[in-house]
Amino acid sequence: MENMTPQTSPESWVAQNRGPILLTLLTVVLTVLFLYTFYVYPGSSMGPEQPIPFSHRLHAGHKAVQCLFCHPYVGESNNPGIPPVEKCLYCHNHIIAKHPWILKEHEYFNTETPTPWKKVWYLPEHVLFNHQRHIRKEIACQECHGKVEAQDRLKGERFKMGFCIECHRKKNANLDCWLACHS
Amino acid sequence: MKRRTFLKLAGMGSLSFAAGCSDPQKSIYSLVEAPDDMVVGNATWYASTCRECPAGCGILAKNREGRVIKLEGNPLHPINIGTICMRGQAALQALYNPDRIRTPLLKQGGAWRPISFKAAQRLIMSKTGEAAQKGRNRVRMVTDTPGDSIYQLMNGALGRWNSGRAVVFEPFAYESLRKANEDVFSVDRLISYRMEDADVLVAFGADFLETWLSPVEYARKFKEMHAFRNGDKGVFMAVGPYMSLTGANADAWLPCRPGGETAIVLGLIGEALQNGRGTGVRDFVRDIIQRAAEPYSRARVMEVSGLSPSQYDSLKERLFSARRPLVLGTGTGDTGGNSFQTNMAVNLLNAVLDPKLAQFDFESRQRVEMASRRSEILALFAELTEGAADVLMIHNVDPVFQLPPGSGARAAMERDALFVVSFSNFMDDTSRLADLIFPTRMPLESWDEYEGKKGFVSMLQPAIGQLTDAPQIGDVLLNTAFTEDKPAGSYKSYLMARLIQAGLIQDERTWLEALRTGGVTSGSGDSATKWFIPYTVSDAFHSVADPVTQELVFIGMPSIRFFDGRGANRPWLVEIPDPITKVAWQTPLLVHPETVSAKGLEQGDVVKIQSKQGSIEAPVYESETVTPGVLAMSIGQGHGTYGRYAENQGINPVSLFPPDAEPRFGGPRFFIHPVSMHRTGHRTDLAHTDGSRIQHGRKIALSTSLENAQSGQRDPGGGLTMWDFPITLPLPEGYDRKRDFYPVIEYENYRWSMVVDLDRCIGCGACSAGCYAENNLGVVGEKQVLNGREMSWLRVERYHDPEQMEKITFLPMMCQHCDNAPCEAVCPVYAPHHSAEGLNNQIYNRCIGTRFCGQNCPYKVRRFNWFTWQWPKPMHLQLNPDVTVRSKGVMEKCSFCIQRIKAARNAAKNENRQIRDGEIVPACVQTCPTTALVFGNLMDPNSRVRRLVEDARAYQVMGYLNTKPAVIYLKKVVHEI
Repeated sequence: MENMTPQTSPESWVAQNRGPILLTLLTVVLTVLFLYTFYVYPGSSMGPEQPIPFSHRLHAGHKAVQCLFCHPYVGESNNPGIPPVEKCLYCHNHIIAKHPWILKEHEYFNTETPTPWKKVWYLPEHVLFNHQRHIRKEIACQECHGKVEAQDRLKGERFKMGFCIECHRKKNANLDCWLACHS
Repeated sequence: MKRRTFLKLAGMGSLSFAAGCSDPQKSIYSLVEAPDDMVVGNATWYASTCRECPAGCGILAKNREGRVIKLEGNPLHPINIGTICMRGQAALQALYNPDRIRTPLLKQGGAWRPISFKAAQRLIMSKTGEAAQKGRNRVRMVTDTPGDSIYQLMNGALGRWNSGRAVVFEPFAYESLRKANEDVFSVDRLISYRMEDADVLVAFGADFLETWLSPVEYARKFKEMHAFRNGDKGVFMAVGPYMSLTGANADAWLPCRPGGETAIVLGLIGEALQNGRGTGVRDFVRDIIQRAAEPYSRARVMEVSGLSPSQYDSLKERLFSARRPLVLGTGTGDTGGNSFQTNMAVNLLNAVLDPKLAQFDFESRQRVEMASRRSEILALFAELTEGAADVLMIHNVDPVFQLPPGSGARAAMERDALFVVSFSNFMDDTSRLADLIFPTRMPLESWDEYEGKKGFVSMLQPAIGQLTDAPQIGDVLLNTAFTEDKPAGSYKSYLMARLIQAGLIQDERTWLEALRTGGVTSGSGDSATKWFIPYTVSDAFHSVADPVTQELVFIGMPSIRFFDGRGANRPWLVEIPDPITKVAWQTPLLVHPETVSAKGLEQGDVVKIQSKQGSIEAPVYESETVTPGVLAMSIGQGHGTYGRYAENQGINPVSLFPPDAEPRFGGPRFFIHPVSMHRTGHRTDLAHTDGSRIQHGRKIALSTSLENAQSGQRDPGGGLTMWDFPITLPLPEGYDRKRDFYPVIEYENYRWSMVVDLDRCIGCGACSAGCYAENNLGVVGEKQVLNGREMSWLRVERYHDPEQMEKITFLPMMCQHCDNAPCEAVCPVYAPHHSAEGLNNQIYNRCIGTRFCGQNCPYKVRRFNWFTWQWPKPMHLQLNPDVTVRSKGVMEKCSFCIQRIKAARNAAKNENRQIRDGEIVPACVQTCPTTALVFGNLMDPNSRVRRLVEDARAYQVMGYLNTKPAVIYLKKVVHEI
C-alpha cells in the first residue's frame, strides 16, 4: 500500500497544534521559574525567617564567637542548649545597643517572653542524640551541621538514619539500635 | 462520576495528602534567664517530702527543663530509705491533673464563677472579719495532718479570728490503737515498732504493707525479718476476717469471725500466763490480766472466733517459741466491733510475752497521732449544723466523701448561713458543696516542713515552678488573718524563722543543707510511759462484743491504691489493678465461693447490698481471701465528683457504714451488719488483667519449703521436660548444640540481666507504677482494659495455690530479654532486635504492627498500641523526654530502662571506665520497697546478679521452652504452717 499520510505544510501543523504547543511552552516557563525561585533566587538557600534576624555568619564566622559560648551544654548533655535571652544582652547592652532588633530582644527580656526561634535541625522523635558523646569524640560541629559560620539564616536539615549510620560505620562507632540512638 | 475521573481525583487527593503531611515547623524556645542549677537535657533533683499519706516519706523530684517528670525515694531519708510506694509515684498525677482547678471559684446562684485570687482573699478577710466580731469560735478549720509550722500558723490565724484550734481530720486516724496505748501504756500516742528485730510477727488486722501508719517503712522492715537470709527467715501470721495484701504475705492467714480477734488474743494471754510467761509483769497487774483472760478457755476461743484448733495451736506454738515476738493489733478501722479490745489485748500480750517490750519504740511516734478522733469530727459537724459557726475552712480533706451519709458533714455544708471555703485543687464531693473553692499550691510546689515520724524534720521545697497562680495556704493565712503585725512577709520566711527558733537550722547555709539532704534530725519524742493502769484493763474486757455470727457482714478495706480515696483521680492508680483481685478501674465485692454458691450467684453478678444506711450495687468477685459470710470491698472509689478518672468510677463502701463513732474509743466502724444481698439481674464484666488465678501446673511462680531452701536443694537438671530442664543462662555458656537451632550469641563486657527474689516481693505494685512514670506508658481506661489492651510493661502476677486457694504468690513479670527470644524470630521486619548487650530492642519506627511477636511471646509482656493514647493537658508535662512516646499501631515492651543504661554508659565513657555494678538502676528496681529486684551485668563474675543466679533457688519462668530468659527468679521460701 502507498504512503497514505497526507502531506501538510509546517504552518498548518502549528495552526493545528496551537493548544498543545502553548501548554508545553507554559510548562517549560513555569518549570524554569520554579527552579529559579527555588534554587537561584537570592535567599532561597536560607532557612526560615527567625523572630530576630540573628546571623550565624556574623557571630560564628566574622566575629569568630565560639559555638560553645552560646550553646554551652553541648559538652555535658544530650542537648546543646540555645542561649537564654539574657546572654544575648551580655554583649548587646554594649554593642549596637539601640538597634531596633536589639530593642526587640530587650522587650523579650523585660516581658519575660521566651524567644520563639524556628527549629531547623530535626531528628525523628524516637531518636535520642547525645551531643556530649560526639563532642567528646572531637567530632566538629560542622561535620553534621555544615558550615554554620558561612550562613546567615540556618537552613538546617531533617537528618535521616543513613547519615548517622554512614559515619558510625566509618568510625567503627556503636551500631546497636537502642544502645546507640533509639529508645 | 466516571471511573476514570474518580481515579484521577483519588490520585490527586492522595498526592496532595502526602505532600501536606510533612511535619509542620516547630519552634524552639529560649529561656529568658538560665537558672544556675539547670543544664538543658540533664535532670536536676530536688529533695522534698511525699504528702500522699501522713507517713511522710522523703522523695527526690526529678526536674527536666523545669518540669517534674519522676519521683523517687530519698536514700538519705530515715523513713523510706530511697523507695516509695505506688501512691507516692502517682503524686505527680495530682500535680499535673487535668481536672485541677486553676482559679478560685465562687458559688453564686448555684453556679460557679471564677474570681481572682486577690478577690478571693478579700472575700475570706471580710467573711472571717464579720464572723470574728460575732463572737468566739465562729471560724472553724478542718485540715489533713499538717506539718508543725503550718499548723501553728493555722492556729495563729484562727486566734486572730477569735476562734480555737484547727481540727485535724484523717479518715484513718487509728483511734482504737491510740486508746489502747493510752489505757495500757498511758500514752495517747501512735508509736513505732521495731519489726525488723522480731523473729515471729503476728498481726490481727494491721495492714502495714498497704496503709497502716507508714507502709513503705514497714514493708522494708517486714522483709528485713521475713526474707530468707543466712538460712533462716522469720514467721509472720495474720489473723482476720479478710485477707489484705499484708495477709497475703503472711506464712499463714488464719481466718476468724469479724470481731473474734479479741477472744484469740485473750486466749493466748491465758495460755501464756499458764505457761509461766509474764514473770516480768508486776504481780497485781498479772492478776488483773489473768482475770480478764480467764473466761477464754481454748474451747471458748474456738467457739467464739471460729478459728480451727490446729490453726490456733500453730499460732500459739510459733508465738510462744519466739525469742523476739511482736504482735500487732487491728488495722485502722474497726472491722468487727472489738477493735479497741483487740488492740488492748494485743498490747497486754506483747507485755506478757516480752515484759521489756524490746520491739516497741515509744520515742519514734507517728505524726498522724495528732488527728482528732472521729467522734470529735462528728461533734464538730453536728455543732456546725446547728449554726455554731459562720465560716468553715476545709483544707485537703473530703469529709463528704470520706464520712458515711448521715454523719452531718453534708448537712453542715448545705446550711446557707455557713460560709464554706474549700482549699482544694479539685472539685471533690466536699468542694462541690462549698461556697468558695480556693485552690492552693500542691506539696511539690510548696515550701514547708513535715515530721512524719518523730526524730526527723523533713523539708518540702518547690520542685517545679508554678502551674497555676495559686498561693500557698500559709501565704493565704498570712495575708488574710494578719494585717499590720504579720509574723512574716511570706510563709517561706515564717518557716525559716520557726526552724531557726527551734534550733533545727542556724542560718542560710544550714537551711540549704537541710533542703539538699531532705531534712534535719530533731529531738526524739518524750518516751515517758507509765505502765498499766489496772482499772482500765479490767474494765476493757467487760464489754467484749460477741463476734459477728450473722450471716452477712459488710467490711470496707483500706486500699493500697487509693488510701482513703484521695488517690482515686490519679489515673495510674486506677489503671494498675488491685493486688489481690487484679481488677482495675472497678470496685468489686469480694465474696467467699461458699457464700456465692449458697446465694446462687456467679462472679460478675451485680448484687444490691442493703444496710440501715442505704444501699450500693456492686459486681461479685469470688474470692477465698474472705471468710464465708463476709462481703469485703476496697475503700477509695465511688466519688460523686472528683475529676474524670474518679467520677462515677467504682463504688464507695463507706456509704453503707454507720455514721456514728464507736463510743469506747471514738473511732469509725468499717463494717456493718446485718446487711442483705440481692441479685439485681445485671451482670458486669470485671476489668481484670489476670489470665487465670492458678498456674495450671506450669513453671511460673515457684516456691520452696524452708527446709529445702536451707539444704540448698537444687532443681534437677539435665532433662528436657518442664521440671528437669536446667537453668540456662543467656550467655554463651548456655548454648547447647543439641538443643539450639540458632547460633551462639557472644557478648563483650556486658549482658544485662535482672534477678527477682519472689521471697521478697510483696505484690504492692510500686514497680509497676514506677514503670508507668518512667516510660510514658499510656492509660487505656476501663473499656480497653476489658478488651485486654492495658499497656503495663511490668505487671505483678498473682497466683493462688490450687490446693489452698488462700495461699498467694506474687510474681513481677516484665520482658525477659531472652537470649533465644521467640519474638525476634517471627517479626517480618526485624523490629525486635537482639542488642549487643543482650537486650531485646523494640524498634518502634520499624514496627508495622503485625503483632506476631506478641503472639509468639510465652510471657505475654508485649503490648500493642491499639490507639494513640492521650495525655490530657497538662498531664503531658510529666512525659519523660528521654523515652519515645509510642503511637498507634506499634508494639512496645519493657526495655530494662534503656535510657538509664545509656545514661550510665555515658557517665562511664566520660570517665573512661566500665559501668560499675549497681550503677544502672531501672525505675522498678529503684522504687521496690523490699529490694526484691536486682539489676546488673551477667558477664561480670562479681556482680550481684551473677552471684544471685548461683543461688539454689534460682529458676527461669518457663525455662523449659529454651528461651534462656535474662530475668532470673528466686523461689519464694514458705514455712510449712
